[in-house]
Amino acid sequence: MLLVTPFAPYRDGIATYAVQELRRLRADGHEVEVLSPVPSAAHHHLPFGGVRGAALLVKRASRYERVIIQFGPELLFGRCRAATERVAVWTSLAAMARTTRLDLRLHEVEYGPLEQNPAERRAARLALRWADRVTVHTEPERARLAELLGSVTNRIEVIEHGVNFVSAITCTGPEAKAELGLPADEFVFLSIGFLQHHKGFDRAVEAFSLAGLPRSSLHIVGSGRVDHPDIGRYVSSLERICARTPGVELHNRYVSDDQFDLWLTAADAVVLPYREIWSSGVVERARLFDKPVIASDLEQLRHQLALGRGGTWFAAADVGELAVAMEKVWSGAGYGHTDDGGSASTSSSSASNETGVERVERRRTVRPLWDVDDAAPDRGAIQAQITARARTSQNGDQEVLVAAPTVDRPSGGERPSAGLQSLGPLVIPEPVSARPGVTPVKQTVRRLTGWQLDPMTQRLAALQQATVHAVIEMETRLEQLSEALDDSTG
Amino acid sequence: MIGRNQSSNSNAASPFRAEDPVIRTGTVALVAPRFGDGVIGGAEAVMAAVARGLAERGIPIEMLTTCARDHFTWANEFRPGSTKTDGGIVVRRFPTVMDGSQADRDRIGNRILAGETITIQDQQRWVNASLRCPGLWHHVFDHGHRYRALVFAPYMFWTTYAVSQIHSRRSVVMPCLHDEPPAHLDIYRSMLEGAGALWFLSEPERELAMRLCNAPSRQEVVGAPVTVPTSYDADGFRARHGLTEPFVYYAGRREWGKGWQDLLAGFAEFTLDRAVGGGGLKLVTSGVGEVQPPVGCEQSVIDLGLLSDHDRDGAMAAAAAYVQPSALESFSLTVLEAMAAGTPVIANGAGAVVSHHLERSGAGIVYHGTAELVECLNFVADRPAAAQALAVDGRRYVLENYEPTLVFDRMIDTLDRWFPGDRPADQVDVEHVGVG
Repeated sequence: MLLVTPFAPYRDGIATYAVQELRRLRADGHEVEVLSPVPSAAHHHLPFGGVRGAALLVKRASRYERVIIQFGPELLFGRCRAATERVAVWTSLAAMARTTRLDLRLHEVEYGPLEQNPAERRAARLALRWADRVTVHTEPERARLAELLGSVTNRIEVIEHGVNFVSAITCTGPEAKAELGLPADEFVFLSIGFLQHHKGFDRAVEAFSLAGLPRSSLHIVGSGRVDHPDIGRYVSSLERICARTPGVELHNRYVSDDQFDLWLTAADAVVLPYREIWSSGVVERARLFDKPVIASDLEQLRHQLALGRGGTWFAAADVGELAVAMEKVWSGAGYGHTDDGGSASTSSSSASNETGVERVERRRTVRPLWDVDDAAPDRGAIQAQITARARTSQNGDQEVLVAAPTVDRPSGGERPSAGLQSLGPLVIPEPVSARPGVTPVKQTVRRLTGWQLDPMTQRLAALQQATVHAVIEMETRLEQLSEALDDSTG
Repeated sequence: MIGRNQSSNSNAASPFRAEDPVIRTGTVALVAPRFGDGVIGGAEAVMAAVARGLAERGIPIEMLTTCARDHFTWANEFRPGSTKTDGGIVVRRFPTVMDGSQADRDRIGNRILAGETITIQDQQRWVNASLRCPGLWHHVFDHGHRYRALVFAPYMFWTTYAVSQIHSRRSVVMPCLHDEPPAHLDIYRSMLEGAGALWFLSEPERELAMRLCNAPSRQEVVGAPVTVPTSYDADGFRARHGLTEPFVYYAGRREWGKGWQDLLAGFAEFTLDRAVGGGGLKLVTSGVGEVQPPVGCEQSVIDLGLLSDHDRDGAMAAAAAYVQPSALESFSLTVLEAMAAGTPVIANGAGAVVSHHLERSGAGIVYHGTAELVECLNFVADRPAAAQALAVDGRRYVLENYEPTLVFDRMIDTLDRWFPGDRPADQVDVEHVGVG
């Protein structure tokens, strides 16, 4: 059997998936060799991703009884420059399917070229029709393909993302908590994965703070992809938010597969407040360990969670609902009751007999959620909300939630730093295009110029940040001086 | 002071003596890029010594390695498959593959050395463009769960980077770090952070790791075993090689990364200075790599090639000083061997680890730049007695810190704490392992 895939030690989603599938296939007694597009731990490598590579792949595949392709656009079309080349690659796959048993695991499909080019649609339809097995991970993907390719709909099977997943460790929850240095009697919420804006871990912090649950903690575990300035900024921001939120700990570090499973074993619930996601490997691993999942109410997640293993999950449309779900899971585990039979209460709870859900609702009322447009945030409005929320914290609720320290504006108008702060970061546009063949060109240009541009953008971002900090510091000192002067003269 | 041609008993008290029949369940795998006769390399030497030492103390050991002997060509010189050494170590060899793009490796490698920001993709391309050993990867993938622990060294090679991440929780990485550009790459940071545990050879190395990454809590400075001879045959060495004049000695790889060219440049200047006044020194060297003495120094640089352990010990004891020109040492076994022989050390002060050894022991001097190197050589040539007196505490320092029994005790203690031998002793079947 031949497994065609990006492979370890490269660390991307498909490579990780392939390693899991290889483990299962070998456990089932199959003799499997691996073929990757670049040198890796695979037995073989071929430069596929274009027409020549596809031809070489067809030739190589003929030596095996069965071929499984972990299908992704970069793997098969990464070197294609023209629409005709894409058609040729699909045609090669169709030819391969005629000569050997071919499994296509569709992890990601570029719909744009399929929509625009009837010839590519025809070739894709043939490949999918003649393949022995075609799988996708979610119903929306299957529906989208069905819409585009029509008659092959019944050939496409939806399989669980985590069908090949097995646990890398065998210890119990208490053992895992002990190994990680977590208190045995504390309810552990876990948000794990790469630290990126779309993962929304900042929302988990906000929800945790909003929920205000005693004997609980939230651990955010993962690392940022440090070679991108946007992610660096997000991680810095997350660090600040976590640092000032009691009970929250950010473990900004690379997480190996074993450590990933150790954290999941230790966790009492997994919180995944994604802003967007196609298919979540974390959800699958959480289900593998029978952990309740509190996740954003996104269509793809709904479909993913509806499949296979089942498990407990709570969909949350916003931070408030996330907090309510956290409260439910926490109290469901018996943490809502004290040893003497009474209801646990936070140190700040003013009504000792209110339920946890009521408390969260009250807090939502007392402290409304952020009203911010992620795409076009209004700094003035945010500043006003910060002031209001901070005032609420001080007056209506003893706990300080996610609120930045603020200084009232001087009467003379907007603070000098406001203009600087409203400047967005310099971001190099993503090298993508909806037009067939343009994306690889842009990617090539990006690769060729990255060594010059990346250090410049990073330096600019650092300069911008340093300038803002310096100006704010100056403003604060001036205000302190001004107040001191007022005191001495008044 | 233990002088040349003297003896001492270097064994310290230990609960784990070689003669004790300590039996521990579960095999420990040591994964090194090279192992066997004729292999030159500090980390490889340490791994070989660890394999022998742990095996003698009753721990079942497998050495998982490649078929390569030479780290320049990575040619498959040893036969693939499994063998068992006299010491009971099972050695499994897997063929190397060198079909990556050398152009890619050179292009990205030059950028790494220049300190440029390298994307993760390019870092991965770079590490996969040199030596790979898929057979080893698949062996550990299929059988790794049967090992009690897997120990990897050194950090930079594919055998450590790719393979240590398979069963990372049971992986002990002994990185042998130097503060060099590749050590700052994200791929290695993630590898170190993801490891189940880290063994360090020295405190400066541990401090460097803490600066480079968020190191796992399971970490220990275990050191490396320095086998201290009970006697040295300095006179015999001089006689065998016809060495009648005083000399400084360098042993190891004669290559750019080890500072060999810098040493030659300094030595050439020293020789030129002393040409008039006389009273110079020879530079005796052993090891691998082209010597290429500068013009005018051909008679003063003496290459002895590969020496036996006995001869090398003799050279260490016979030398007026041992010279370590490399700034990139994570342990520097040769420096400690020289100190154990009672020989003063002249070392590149840019190397944190060797400087650390010398500061703690007082057994040598450091230089920064060619001019200081020349003056160090002048000092040894002019004041040999004073230089010799510097070395007085070197042997004690080595015995108190790196005597093999102490080092193996530390290793065994950490293995017992981190990986208690509760795994079934289902050793991997030697006969049924493929070599991919």
